[in-house]
Amino acid sequence: MNNKQFLTELSGKCQMSAEQAAGQVQALIGVMENLWQNGDSVSLSGFGVLEVKKKNERVSVNPTTGVRMLVPPKLVLTYKPSSILKDKLK
Amino acid sequence: MDNKINLSQLADLLAQESGMSKAASEQFVKNFFDIISQSVLTDGMVKVKGLGTFKLIQMEDRESVNVNSGERFTIEGHQKISFVPDTDLKERINKPFAAFETVEITEEQAAELDKMEQQETDNTSSTKTTDNMEKSKEKEPKKELKEVKDENQKGWVKVLIWVLSGILVLALIIFLLWPVIGGNALKKADKNAKEKAPAPTVVKPEPKPAATPAPKKEEAKFTLTKGDQEKALPLFGVGDTVNYKIVGTLTVHTMEKGDMLTTIALKYYGTKKLWPYIAKYNNLKSRSFKRMPVGYKVKVPKLANK
Repeated sequence: MNNKQFLTELSGKCQMSAEQAAGQVQALIGVMENLWQNGDSVSLSGFGVLEVKKKNERVSVNPTTGVRMLVPPKLVLTYKPSSILKDKLK
Repeated sequence: MDNKINLSQLADLLAQESGMSKAASEQFVKNFFDIISQSVLTDGMVKVKGLGTFKLIQMEDRESVNVNSGERFTIEGHQKISFVPDTDLKERINKPFAAFETVEITEEQAAELDKMEQQETDNTSSTKTTDNMEKSKEKEPKKELKEVKDENQKGWVKVLIWVLSGILVLALIIFLLWPVIGGNALKKADKNAKEKAPAPTVVKPEPKPAATPAPKKEEAKFTLTKGDQEKALPLFGVGDTVNYKIVGTLTVHTMEKGDMLTTIALKYYGTKKLWPYIAKYNNLKSRSFKRMPVGYKVKVPKLANK
């Protein structure tokens, strides 16, 4: 399902136009981004947790040339599905 | 910081942002995530612009080991929901660390890193020796590790350690005893020199009338009178460099300032002319004669009559 299909389904469910829905989605993502940048995590029952995690720096090796690289630390947005959603997969 | 934001809090924030009623925004947020989770299950993939992609991916069967009992078991293949954030969002989230870049590690730095790693493993090994063995093994290909039985590994490591320590001890003993051995050889050489000293004075008057046949006479004398090679050598050497063979190492000479092959030959054999034997014994080529640095160790061969 691509972004367009997603928006039409969402607008249908919330009884609003697709453009409205798109604006709302961007607003929601903006709100969540602010939360993440403050270090908060977004936790929704039945869906999962979206949070920012810090990955430590590490040494990686290019397997063909054997050159060792120091990869810097970084912040990554991670998603952990809730157990309810996981159970539905089985 | 570090707060968990739930559905209603998120809805409140969205309502403030977009001016919607709280009830409407809560409904909207709920629908938003419901649709994502629903369609991930049905379609296998959802792409939300500005947020990222949720995808169902198939995990293959894989083997694993029970940490406590060491037993092997297979983790059944299953499906997993993965999330890949939008590149723009990803970059914005990583802004605090955006200044860093991956750098190549030079060899010196790599060596330092290795040292640090070794120290770490050493620290842990002091508490558990068995752990250490397994860790050192881990550096080798892991597949092999699994195949080979633990007992075999420990046996191997023990044998290796014994052999290595034996070699080390031997080297240490030789190193410690060297001055004694070397000293003895030097004393012998000194004796040679002393015994040699009076001899030429006796011999010299004789060859004066006939210069060329002189060495031959000496040779004849000594082969007849004395079998002792060390004493014979200094006198034999005069003018004759062909009639000896190398039978072992007499001593090792460390080059000092002003030392040359000829001076070494003079010191140990009593004549300069035997220097080619030293050169041959040390596999020296004509170029390196002049370049032997101070501290260079030259093996001085023991010579015997042919």
